[in-house]
Amino acid sequence: MASTNTKAVAETQEKKFDWHQIKSLLPIISFVAIVAIFAILTRGALITPRNITLIISGGFTLMIATVGVYMIMSMGCLDFSQGSMMGLSCAVVCFLSQYNPILAIVGGMATGALIGLINAIFHVKGQVQSFVVTMCMMFLLRGVIAYITTASPVYAASYLTALATNTPLLIGIVVAVLVIAYLVLHFTALGSNLKAIGASETGARFAGINVQRTKIIIYVVAGAITGFAALINAIRIGSVTSQAGNMLETQILIALVLGGMPINGGARSRFSSVVTGVLSYLVLQRGLVMLGFTTEIQQLILGIVFVIMVAVFSERAANQVIK
Amino acid sequence: MSDKLLLHAEKIDKKFGPTHAVKEVSLDFYAGEIHALIGENGSGKSTFTNMLTGILPIGSGTFTLDGEQIAPKNQVDGNHHGVAVIVQELGTLNGLTVAENLFLGDEGRFMKHGIKNTAAMNKKAQELLDGFGLEKVRATAPIENYNFEERKIIEILKSTWFDPKILVVDETTTALSQDGRDKLFEVMRDVRAKGHCVIFISHDMAEVLSMSDRISILRDGDFITTINASDVDEDKLKTLMVGREMGDNYYRTDYPNYATEPQGEIAIMMQNVSVPGSLNDVSLELHKGEILGIGGLSECGMHEVGKAMFGASYDRTGTVQLGDGTPIDSINTAISNSIAYASKDRDNESLLINDTIQDNITLPSMRDMGFILKQKDLKAFAKKYADIMSTKMVGVDQYVSALSGGNKQKVVLARWLGKQSDILLLDSPTRGIDIGVKADIYQLLAEMRNQDKAILIISEEIMELIGMCDRILVMKDGKINGQLFRSPELTEQDIIAKMI
Repeated sequence: MASTNTKAVAETQEKKFDWHQIKSLLPIISFVAIVAIFAILTRGALITPRNITLIISGGFTLMIATVGVYMIMSMGCLDFSQGSMMGLSCAVVCFLSQYNPILAIVGGMATGALIGLINAIFHVKGQVQSFVVTMCMMFLLRGVIAYITTASPVYAASYLTALATNTPLLIGIVVAVLVIAYLVLHFTALGSNLKAIGASETGARFAGINVQRTKIIIYVVAGAITGFAALINAIRIGSVTSQAGNMLETQILIALVLGGMPINGGARSRFSSVVTGVLSYLVLQRGLVMLGFTTEIQQLILGIVFVIMVAVFSERAANQVIK
Repeated sequence: MSDKLLLHAEKIDKKFGPTHAVKEVSLDFYAGEIHALIGENGSGKSTFTNMLTGILPIGSGTFTLDGEQIAPKNQVDGNHHGVAVIVQELGTLNGLTVAENLFLGDEGRFMKHGIKNTAAMNKKAQELLDGFGLEKVRATAPIENYNFEERKIIEILKSTWFDPKILVVDETTTALSQDGRDKLFEVMRDVRAKGHCVIFISHDMAEVLSMSDRISILRDGDFITTINASDVDEDKLKTLMVGREMGDNYYRTDYPNYATEPQGEIAIMMQNVSVPGSLNDVSLELHKGEILGIGGLSECGMHEVGKAMFGASYDRTGTVQLGDGTPIDSINTAISNSIAYASKDRDNESLLINDTIQDNITLPSMRDMGFILKQKDLKAFAKKYADIMSTKMVGVDQYVSALSGGNKQKVVLARWLGKQSDILLLDSPTRGIDIGVKADIYQLLAEMRNQDKAILIISEEIMELIGMCDRILVMKDGKINGQLFRSPELTEQDIIAKMI
């Protein structure tokens, strides 16, 4: 027995140099690297308190919406309708805020939830791949937003926009959303169930997980979360144009991948990807702006980073069977 | 067997992270022999041959075939070097025709000026099929038109038509019926007669002894010895494999005295259940304290019985209910009512192989552990049941994909042990599993039977049914064709007679 134990200990130690262990640290390493590089390139301007506040306050909406998409992606699904969903929900929030603040919050979340429900029904009941369904939804909703903002932008009530400068309140809201999501995903069966669905839908079904129902619930919840993000957006921007929420879905995707999220979800999904990913993305984007790159070059650089991170974090060897 | 050395393996070694799968194995293979490789699950047999055939890259060491050092980059490259393999699971690709599958990766031979001559390929494929006694199979038909067995036979043709010098048969027989096995054995003898060599991996000791000339044994990645098949018997082989004496308690030895029907109360029953394409008006009762066996030919519908009882069949008609009348019509109701199911398709249905051992064991039990779950408790729970099953693992956070077949099945059983299931529906519970683990599983089932649990074993291995079951239902063409009771006099012929 003694020899077996020694062997077991030796194996555990050897395991510390496991590639997956290094991979799990990579998001943190790359975040630190991004901050360091841009701090040096901008000669410290990046890390002045004023600039840090600017970076953080620019990311409230992204951070909240990413929480919902994290849940969708851990099931191995995608959602490209997030940006347009945010735009439409934001229009609803702005419109209803003219009447009643509670109604505005509820209306925004209900709009997101309803869109999520429609996505889920086509994906789950209609057996259409999630990226196709949500891509179609994006085109549809972009049309709707363009239509309702043709005459003029939809404006939010002034009591909402008055909150825009109350940074501590907004940070508090974002942190609350993150904490609630973390607790639910880590201390109930939900987190494991989502990852199990991502790892194998058939396997999850035979383990007693109601895959269809879980998917529908998660799409609805993620929609409601994005509807809530729309409230923050309404507070900060104050109006909705046809461009509202444009490219948000891509930003979420890049952020999650920067945070180490496997593109196919599954067991290696970590909630920490939401925080490290969004922060990395915000710093990267702000850094590029500060260095004076044009929008086109910024996109190009983000695209390259995205491709590299997808390559690093995809689970190619997942099907390798050792016999 | 001639004394001409055909293949020499020199200090072949392979590590997968912390797992040392093959440890500096040196072996000689001669022209004109069938050379069996045996060992428990995880002993490194498949890893060794996978390096030879190009499925896995070589860790270190060299293979010398006919005086030339080879290191195939993939299976097609292996074929070009004269090395071919028939694998355990399905090795043909859906969405391609039979001909395209036969020449997969080797389309170059029908290319002229960058254009593929499909007609010539189909013609050549049909010639090969006809010559192989597969006149029924059309070269131009999509491969999914054929069933598992036929596809396996087509795969045998795919691996042998170009006369490879080395043919690896990796645990293929468990997937085949008797007819299919006979066909495979004929091909193996043929390869030997041509002065080539077959490397034969199998868990079936009788098969190994009757087919091979020499037998090499691996244990935990170490090479143990090579012996002549004529010098050993089954018991000696088993001892060499596991490195300890096997007791006599391999199967159950008790013979309870049944008058006719089992006495225990009914645990679960099927009434007039039909599933299109597999079950036709099947009714059966499983009692507490009983091991009920279901046997038959591979395509007789018996594998659907387990799925139907677990609420997992699509398009099921008829009723499945517990003894007290509770209907079972979804996997969820099945699991809540203490029903466990292990599928024949272990990697896809029984397990989530790209997930940790911990998740695999705890998933169905989470709902019993309260609303708020602690990682520490989940880990302890998984470890407890993995250890009860003596699963060979680095830790419960190891991924199931890294385990061998026998250890995967231990994880499946650990899951349902943890769930305290009272009704166990086990489809091919020992498929592709070595005798050491098999004996453990049989002992566990016998214990559970004594604890008054209801156990259903669906199996293609007749000896397993005779050895373990109180009652055996034999199926044919989607219907139950006969019932046999446990008795020391029961023979394989009794069961085969009802199968066909």
